[in-house]
Amino acid sequence: MSIKTGIASALTLLGTFISFYIVYALLTNQLFLLDIGWLLTAFGPIYWASLGIGLAMGLSVMGAAWGIWSTGASVMGGGVMVPRIYSKNLVSIIFCEAVAIYGIIVSIIMATGLKPYNGDDPATLAMNYESGYRVFGAGMITGFCNLFCGICVGIIGSSAALADAANDKLFVKVLVIEIFGSVLGLFGIILALILSSEAKFGEMK
Amino acid sequence: MSISPERPIYSPFFSVMGATSAMVFSSMGAAYGTAKSGVGIAAMAIMKPELIMKSVVPVVMAGILAIYGVVVAVLIANTINKEGTTMAKDLTNMGAGLSVGLSAMAAGFAIGIVGDAGVRGTAQQPKLFVGMVLMLIFAEVLGLYGLITALVMMYA
Repeated sequence: MSIKTGIASALTLLGTFISFYIVYALLTNQLFLLDIGWLLTAFGPIYWASLGIGLAMGLSVMGAAWGIWSTGASVMGGGVMVPRIYSKNLVSIIFCEAVAIYGIIVSIIMATGLKPYNGDDPATLAMNYESGYRVFGAGMITGFCNLFCGICVGIIGSSAALADAANDKLFVKVLVIEIFGSVLGLFGIILALILSSEAKFGEMK
Repeated sequence: MSISPERPIYSPFFSVMGATSAMVFSSMGAAYGTAKSGVGIAAMAIMKPELIMKSVVPVVMAGILAIYGVVVAVLIANTINKEGTTMAKDLTNMGAGLSVGLSAMAAGFAIGIVGDAGVRGTAQQPKLFVGMVLMLIFAEVLGLYGLITALVMMYA
């Protein structure tokens, strides 16, 4: 089974669920289920905020894990013949771990801001819904940017390990490329903090 | 915080999705470009270590794509709370974010593949370096088109 079959089957399943949902809404005369405005406001801001915080943590850790297993496998494989490489190449592993730490920082900062609200006043509702969307966006940005950063740093780290095994002067030069890769995770959390710093939950003062 | 009939309560979602797609897709392109050309650089460095610093060009160009995404995402994030933001502006922000994000992602894929093949070829034939840089410039300009469209959408 190839990746193409997996992607095709996942897309087919998703399409089936979406078409069943649409046909159900049409046939049971519940067309509000297809209203994008209703979908965005039905669950409430805490749903969006929690989804964002969860994605921030989970996807960041997935990126870090992907990077660590890519680099680790190469370091261990190359170290069979050239055991000196493992101590320097722990730096690549630490670059990947930093991505997970970015994720947990952003998640905890956003999670401590969640508060309940009283849903009578339209201005309070608007503020809370906007904050919910902001935290969702910030979480998605952190999660996905850290995921891609972790994968990138892992791939470069594995190449750095093999280059180091061939010639020990090469590691520091390939590390420069790894630093370019790890900057992506930093961009992610900068954007996330910019978006979520204006997010205020609870009552309007 | 401006709520009115022109700006229903769910409208900031579209601006936030614009900022998100700007950052996420452009960082995917930048990551692909950095990783793919980085593998090529590490592979050719074993035979020709003196060419590493010249070969960092595709990595730098892939990093610039992430900066395009950051610029548009920050511009979008600053307009969500301004007075006088309408739903039309929020939907335009979503389009702008998608424009720069997907263009930078495509440009990053191109830079990665061209950079990987280019640095391996430059190691064997030094005259290819100029050709590689020309092709990388054409690939980078794809991301720039997305940035220009996003800025035109937001400010004109």
